[in-house]
Amino acid sequence: MTLVWVQTKVLVMTELAIEARGLVKRYGEVTAINGIDLSVPVGMIFALLGPNGAGKTTTISILTTLIQPTAGAARVAGHDVVRAADEVRRAIGVTFQDIAVDQDLSGREVLNIHGQLYRQSSSERRRRIGELVDLVQLNDAIDRRVRTYSGGMKRRLELARGLMTEPAILFLDEPTQGLDPQNRVGIWGYIRDLNRTRGLSLLLTTHYMDEAEALAGRVGIVDQGRVVADGQPEALVAALGADVIRVRGQGADFASVADFASVVAKLPFVERATTDAEGGVVMIYVDSGSRRLAEVLSVASGKSFQVDDVTVARPSLGDVFLHHTGHALRDA
Amino acid sequence: MYATYVIWNKHMVKFFRNREELIGLALQSVLWVVLFGVGMRGLISNVEGRDYMSYILPGIVALSALGGAVGGGMVMLDERLRGILKEYLTAPIPRISILLGSATSTATKALIQAAIMLVVGVLMGARLALNPLGWLFALLLLALFAVGFSGLALAVAAVSRSIAGYHGMIFLFNLPLLFASNALYPLNVLPTWMQVIVLLNPTTYLIDAVRSLAFGVEATLPMPLSVAMIALFAALGTWLALSLFQRTVRG
Repeated sequence: MTLVWVQTKVLVMTELAIEARGLVKRYGEVTAINGIDLSVPVGMIFALLGPNGAGKTTTISILTTLIQPTAGAARVAGHDVVRAADEVRRAIGVTFQDIAVDQDLSGREVLNIHGQLYRQSSSERRRRIGELVDLVQLNDAIDRRVRTYSGGMKRRLELARGLMTEPAILFLDEPTQGLDPQNRVGIWGYIRDLNRTRGLSLLLTTHYMDEAEALAGRVGIVDQGRVVADGQPEALVAALGADVIRVRGQGADFASVADFASVVAKLPFVERATTDAEGGVVMIYVDSGSRRLAEVLSVASGKSFQVDDVTVARPSLGDVFLHHTGHALRDA
Repeated sequence: MYATYVIWNKHMVKFFRNREELIGLALQSVLWVVLFGVGMRGLISNVEGRDYMSYILPGIVALSALGGAVGGGMVMLDERLRGILKEYLTAPIPRISILLGSATSTATKALIQAAIMLVVGVLMGARLALNPLGWLFALLLLALFAVGFSGLALAVAAVSRSIAGYHGMIFLFNLPLLFASNALYPLNVLPTWMQVIVLLNPTTYLIDAVRSLAFGVEATLPMPLSVAMIALFAALGTWLALSLFQRTVRG
């Protein structure tokens, strides 16, 4: 397969594919995002991780010029998203959260019309469709009506549409939402390949921690309209400690789970202790889980804290999320 | 305005592919002619010296233009609700070309509908005046009218939250535009208060003009006034669609 990727010349001059400063979007009384800062270097996969309603889609809508920010500024491929919207549009590809393809057209027609909107010549369109159909493996279905496609096929077609104009930056809003595990892993494969072999920059949003962990070179954790943490997934996790001991239980002498956490946090080997109030769970980050487990439990029994369940594990992005937001990210 | 053409073309492809919509719209108009026209013809032998079929055909043609416009508005509503509009909005094309693409496809559909009706009506016994120039002018007025009503339909499509809401709103326009006009009965048989309403309705002017141009019925309204009112309606419809559409896409 010979894909020729036009690496936009503009990107050579600035090393950031996406740069946002203090993005705010208000709808009347409602603040959708409240000061989002982002910087995504060229050639990176960046994941915005957060629950539904955190402001991920609003952020992506501003960056893809669908809506304008109330305050703040952003540059995509070196162009201002408000003042040079058409230049931004020419440099990007987008797939939206809800599948948005015409049911009454064939896959080929969908791609062809997309190319026409960007004024690609008919030979260019034909070449590109040929390449993309191979890439997303829609060879048998490309001339069928989209109506007959499965959810996974529609997603792949959308991905192909986003790539049709050989963008330098691809935006994917919840690219695997509603897909079965097999299709999810397939989409992940395409994303990784595009990034690794073509140097494509990607910004994707997800509320799946495993997706962010599997794909992203950097993760921005979004909660209530703000980026609360931003870094390499491994670094974010490592910052919490080597192991996490999760203790679920209820206090007798202790008024609440939080009190138990504060006592444990004073132990010399405990890096930090946080609670998930809803679940009645205390997360204790330590240098070595297996070695410190007994000591933690002895504090619990010494203080008549009744332990219902204990697990020892490496921290995950979920723990990072909990640590920075004070509540758990639960898959919808 | 290449993008306008691309969107127009896509809508037309979808239109001709959607057989249910095509057949439904065509049958709807045919039913009007057959059930209403033929039935009433037994009751009323002539109006103002013309046979009743020739008399009501312009009204039915206008009605089918409305039907075409409603279908065109549906396409834009569907694209908006499904999120396909976002594909256009993130493409490097002028925002206005998105609306123009929808407006031209909507007006085209309305005209096709009207043309089918005209043929059916003539087959059912309506007698055209031998005045080809008049036919052409009548078609032109019909096109302007279609643009006006397409604007109305697109304006409603730009703000509706659901397909049911769209049809509810359109129904509000649809019925009075037909019945509060001279489509089915002559102006002079109506009470004065009704005449006032009928004279505010752009459909009245279209029908009066088409009757006189294509069917040789004597015009009851001055032709320049009719032309001016239809043009005004087209301009108003377009303006309304434009302002409501821009409000929706601004975000």
